[in-house]
Amino acid sequence: MLLLILLIPFITGFTLLGVRNAAAVKVVALSSAILTLFLTVSLVFFLPATRFSVSWINFLGTDFSLGYDGISSIMLLLTNLLFPFIILAGFKHEQKQVPVLYALILFTQSALIGVFLAQNAFLFYVFWELALIPVYFILLLWGGANRRAITFKFFIYTLTGSLILLFGIIFLYQLTPSPHSTDFLAFSQLIIPANTQIWLFWILFIAFAIKMPVFPFHTWQPPTYTMASTQGVMILAGVMTKMGIYGALRFLFPIVPLGVLFWQNTVIVLSLIGVIYASIIAFRQTNLKKLIAFSSMAHISLMVAAMFVLNYYALQGLLFQVISHGVTIVALFYMVYSIEKQTGTLELPMMGGLKLHAPKMSVLFLMVVLGSIALPLTAGFVGEFLMITGLFHQSVWFALVGGITMVLGAIYMLYAYQRVMLGNKEVNYESKTDLKPLDYFFLLPLVLIILALGVYPQPIFNLVEQTVKSMQNLLTPATEVMSAWVH
Amino acid sequence: MVLLSFVFTAVLFFSLRSSGSVSATVTLFNWISIGGMNIPFAFLIDHLSLTMMLIITGVGALIHIYSIGYMHDDERVNSFFAQMNLFTFSMLLLVMGANYLVLFIGWEGVGLCSYLLIGFWFKNPAFNYAARKAFVMNRIGDLGFILGIILIFFTFKTVTFSEVFTQASTLSSGTTAITLITLFLLIGALGKSAQIPLFTWLPDAMAGPTPVSALIHAATMVTAGIYMIARSSILYNLAPITLNIIIIIGSATAIMAAITGLKQNDIKKVLAYSTVSQLGYMFIALGLGAYSTAVFHLTTHAFFKALLFLGAGSVIHAMSGEQDIRKMGGLRKKMPLTYFTFLAATLAISGIPPFSGFFSKDLILNQAFEHSILIYILALAGALLTCFYMFRLLYLVFFGDQRLDGAHPHESPGVMTIPLMILAVLSVFGGFLNIPSLFGGNSNFSTFLQTAVFSKTTEGLSMTTEIVLTLVPLSLISLVILFAYRTFVKKAVIPASDEASMSWIGKIIFNKFYFDEIYIFAFEKPFGFLSGFLFHKVENTVLDPAVDGIGKATSRLGSLIRKLQQGNMSFYLFAMVAGILLFIVFILIV
Repeated sequence: MLLLILLIPFITGFTLLGVRNAAAVKVVALSSAILTLFLTVSLVFFLPATRFSVSWINFLGTDFSLGYDGISSIMLLLTNLLFPFIILAGFKHEQKQVPVLYALILFTQSALIGVFLAQNAFLFYVFWELALIPVYFILLLWGGANRRAITFKFFIYTLTGSLILLFGIIFLYQLTPSPHSTDFLAFSQLIIPANTQIWLFWILFIAFAIKMPVFPFHTWQPPTYTMASTQGVMILAGVMTKMGIYGALRFLFPIVPLGVLFWQNTVIVLSLIGVIYASIIAFRQTNLKKLIAFSSMAHISLMVAAMFVLNYYALQGLLFQVISHGVTIVALFYMVYSIEKQTGTLELPMMGGLKLHAPKMSVLFLMVVLGSIALPLTAGFVGEFLMITGLFHQSVWFALVGGITMVLGAIYMLYAYQRVMLGNKEVNYESKTDLKPLDYFFLLPLVLIILALGVYPQPIFNLVEQTVKSMQNLLTPATEVMSAWVH
Repeated sequence: MVLLSFVFTAVLFFSLRSSGSVSATVTLFNWISIGGMNIPFAFLIDHLSLTMMLIITGVGALIHIYSIGYMHDDERVNSFFAQMNLFTFSMLLLVMGANYLVLFIGWEGVGLCSYLLIGFWFKNPAFNYAARKAFVMNRIGDLGFILGIILIFFTFKTVTFSEVFTQASTLSSGTTAITLITLFLLIGALGKSAQIPLFTWLPDAMAGPTPVSALIHAATMVTAGIYMIARSSILYNLAPITLNIIIIIGSATAIMAAITGLKQNDIKKVLAYSTVSQLGYMFIALGLGAYSTAVFHLTTHAFFKALLFLGAGSVIHAMSGEQDIRKMGGLRKKMPLTYFTFLAATLAISGIPPFSGFFSKDLILNQAFEHSILIYILALAGALLTCFYMFRLLYLVFFGDQRLDGAHPHESPGVMTIPLMILAVLSVFGGFLNIPSLFGGNSNFSTFLQTAVFSKTTEGLSMTTEIVLTLVPLSLISLVILFAYRTFVKKAVIPASDEASMSWIGKIIFNKFYFDEIYIFAFEKPFGFLSGFLFHKVENTVLDPAVDGIGKATSRLGSLIRKLQQGNMSFYLFAMVAGILLFIVFILIV
C-alpha cells in the first residue's frame, strides 16, 4: 500500500512524457492525484498501520523502508490533498510543454511522499533532494520575470542547507554502533553528549530552517514566491514549507533533545521576530503575491515558535495548522491567480472595485482571507488558538507577541482585500467576468474544508494524538538531564 | 425569520419560567477535545442570556421590518439582509455560548458582520476605511480577550462558565491570576463596547446604513462587552483593582463622549457619541459591582437608542440622505410620527420620569453616590450634558424653520413608522420592568437576573437621601432643557459652519479631543514608516545582499561553480547526484 502510494505519481509521471495531447495529460495527471488521495485517506483513517521494507544498500546498513506515524499521516494527507488542486489550477489556461510540466509535478509529489514515509535518514535525504530537482525546473522554466537569478538564489540556499544536513547525517551514522545504520530509530537511541548536541542541533536545523523559512534565512522566499508560476508557488508554500517542519520534528526532537532544549528560546525568539517582521513588511507590499508571500512567512514563523515550546497543545495546534495553512494558502494563491487573470496586474495600486464586476469572486476571496486571519469557525482559528495557548504556557510575552499576528494579519489582509475588491475605481480590466464553474470546482472544496475543520477539528486531533504524546514522553527525560546539566 | 426566532425565544422564556429551573444547557458536540482540554460546542440558557436574546430578537425584528422600507431602493438589498441575519446569528451565539470560547466565536462573528455592514456601500473608500478601522480596533481587544480565555484555561483547566465560576467562588479576592484574567477580558470589552482608548471606531462606524447603526452599533453588538463582564461577575467581584479601573474608564468615557456630542453636527455622529457615553454609564455600573443595573440600563438603552437611530434614519430618508442637522429644521409638522417617537426617546435618554431611561440611570447615579461623591458628580454632569445635546438635536431637527431649500420632507411609510411606534412604547414603559422600592415597586428585573448575575450587595440609601437624589438631578435637567429651548428655539441659534473660528476649547471639542489625530500620529504613521523601513532598508539592503554576497563569494571559488550562474540545469542535476555520491564515498571511507 505504501509503495503503491509512492509509485502511482511516479509511474504516471513517466507515462505522461509519452502523451502528446495536452488536455489528456492534465486529465490523466488529475486522475492519478485523485487516486493517490483516495488511497491516502483510506490508509491514514481506515487501515491499520503498515510498514514496507526491502533490503537495499547493505553496506550502508540502509534498507528501503517505508512507514508512518501521526506526523507522517498529517503530512501525507496534506500533500495528497493539495496535489489534485495544484494540478487543477493548470486547467484554465494554455501552458507550454504540458507533458513535461505535469510529469515534473507528479515527480515532486512522489518524492514528497517518499520524504514523509522514509524510515531512515539516508532514504529521507535521497527523497529530499529528489523533491527539489523537479521544483527547480518548474521554477526555472515556468517562472516569471527574473526567474534565472531568483532560482539561482533559491538553489544556493537549498544546496547549502542540504550539504550541511548531509554532513550531520554522516556524523550521526558513524556514531551508531557497528554495524552502522541510518535508521531514525538507531539515531534516536544514540546517547550524544550535551556539548555535541548543542552544535549538532544547528547542523541538522539549518536545512529545515531555510525551507520553512525561519528569520533570517528567509530572503529567498518572497522573490521566489512572487516569480513562481501559480502551480509552482502552491507546491512551495502549500507543501514544501511543511517539509521543513516535518524534518525538524523528525530529526531534532528524537535525536538531539538536549540541543533543542538548549536552543529552544533562541529559536522561539527568532521565529517571533519573523512573525512580526513579516507581518509589518507585508503591509507595505504593492504586489499582491508578495504580500501573500510575507503573510505565509508570518504564519509559518508562528508555527515554528509553537513547535519549540514543546507543549502538548502547541504541538497539536501546529500539526493542525499544517493542514489548515496548506489548504488556506493554496486557496489564496488561486485567488491571486484569478485576480491577475481578471485585472492583468498584481500591483495593488492599479486595482480596485473588482467587486463591481465579480461579486462572487469577492465573496470567496473574503472567505479565504477570513480563514487566513483565523476567524473562529475557520480551521485557522483552531490551530492558532492552540499554538498561542502553548506559547502562553511558556511565557505570557511569547503569547502576546505571537497573538499580535491576529491584529497585524487583519490589518494587511483586509487592506489587500479592500484594495482589490472595494472602492469605485474604474479600471480597464482585461475581462469583466465573474468566477467560472471550474473556479468553483477549485475553491468550493477548499473553502468547505477550511470551514469543516474549523467546526469539527477532532478527526485531525485523533490522528496525531498518540504521536504527540510519545514526543512529549521523549522530551521529559531530556528536560531532567538538561536541568541537571545547567545547574 | 428574526421575528420567528423572537417568537421561539419568547416561548423559551415562558417555558423556562414555568419549569421553575434557572438554567438549561444544551451540548451539541465536542468542539476541541485534546488532552486536558475539553471545549464543547454548548449553549447555556439562563436569565441573563434570555434577557439578551429577547433584546436581540425583539429589537432586531423591529429593525429588520424597518429595513424593508429603508433599504427598498438599494440594489444589494439581498446581501444586506443576509448580513443582518448573519449578525443576528452571531450575536445569539455570543449570548448563548456556555463557555468562553463559544462566546468568542460569536464575539468575532459580530465583529465580522459589523465590518461587512459598515462597509456595505463599498464604493466609498472612506466607508471601507471606517470598516477596516472598526475591525482592527476590535481585534486589538480580541487579542486581550483570547489571552484572558487562555489564562482562564490554565487557571481553572476549563473554560465552561459553570465550572469556572464554581471553582472561582472558592478563591480569595485579589489574587494575581484573577486580576490578570479580568484585565485581559476587560481589554476585549473595551474594544467591543467602544470605551477609552478603543472607542474611535464607533463614530466612524456610522458610515453603515442607519438600521445597522441602530441594531449593531447601539442596541446589541456594542453591549456585548457589558454582557461579557456581567456574565463573569463572579470573577470581577474577586478583582477590586479591575473594578476600580472599570469605574475610571467608564466615567472618563461617559464625560468625554458627552462633551464631544455637544459640538457634533451630523445627526448620526451625535447619536454615536451618545452611545459611547451611555456605554460609559453601563461600565460605571459594572465597576460598582451593580451588574444587573448595568444590564437594566443596557435594556432600556437598547429601546431608546434603537428608536433614536431609526428616527434619525427616517429623517435622513425624508431629507434624501442629508445628515447635517444645520440644514434640517421644522420637521415636526412634516413628519409628526417620527417627531413624537423621537421626542419619547429623547425624554427617555435624558432621564425624565416616567420614561425608561429615568429608572435605569437613576439607579446608576444612586449607586455611584453610595460609592463616591466624585463619581456621582461626574455621572450627573454627564447626564446633564446628555440632556443638553439631545435637546439641541431635537430642537434643531424638528423645530424652527426648514432650512434646506428644495427639499420635500415627508413622513416615512408604515413599514418604518410602526417599528418606531412599538419602540416608543417600549422606551416609555420599559422602565417599569424594574421599579425601585421608592416608587412602591419590587425591582422585578434585578430579581429576575439574580440567578445568573451576582451583583455586590449594597446597604441601600435612606428614603430621604433617595428622594433628594431623585429630585436634584430632575430639577437640574429641567433647567438644562429650558436653556436648550431658549438657545435653539427662541433665539434660533444655528451652530456655526465648520470653517468659522472657534475658541481653543471649542476646537478641541469640535475635533473630538483629537483622538483620531493622535492615533494616526502615534500608531498609523510610525507603523507605515516601520514597514517601509524594514522592507527597503533591512530586507532589501542588509539581509538580502548579505546572502547574495555569500552566494557570489562561493561562486568565485571556482570556475566549476560559476557554471551555475549560466543557469546550466544539467549542472544542477549533477550537483544533486554528486551530493548523494559524495555521501556514499564518505561512508565508505569512514
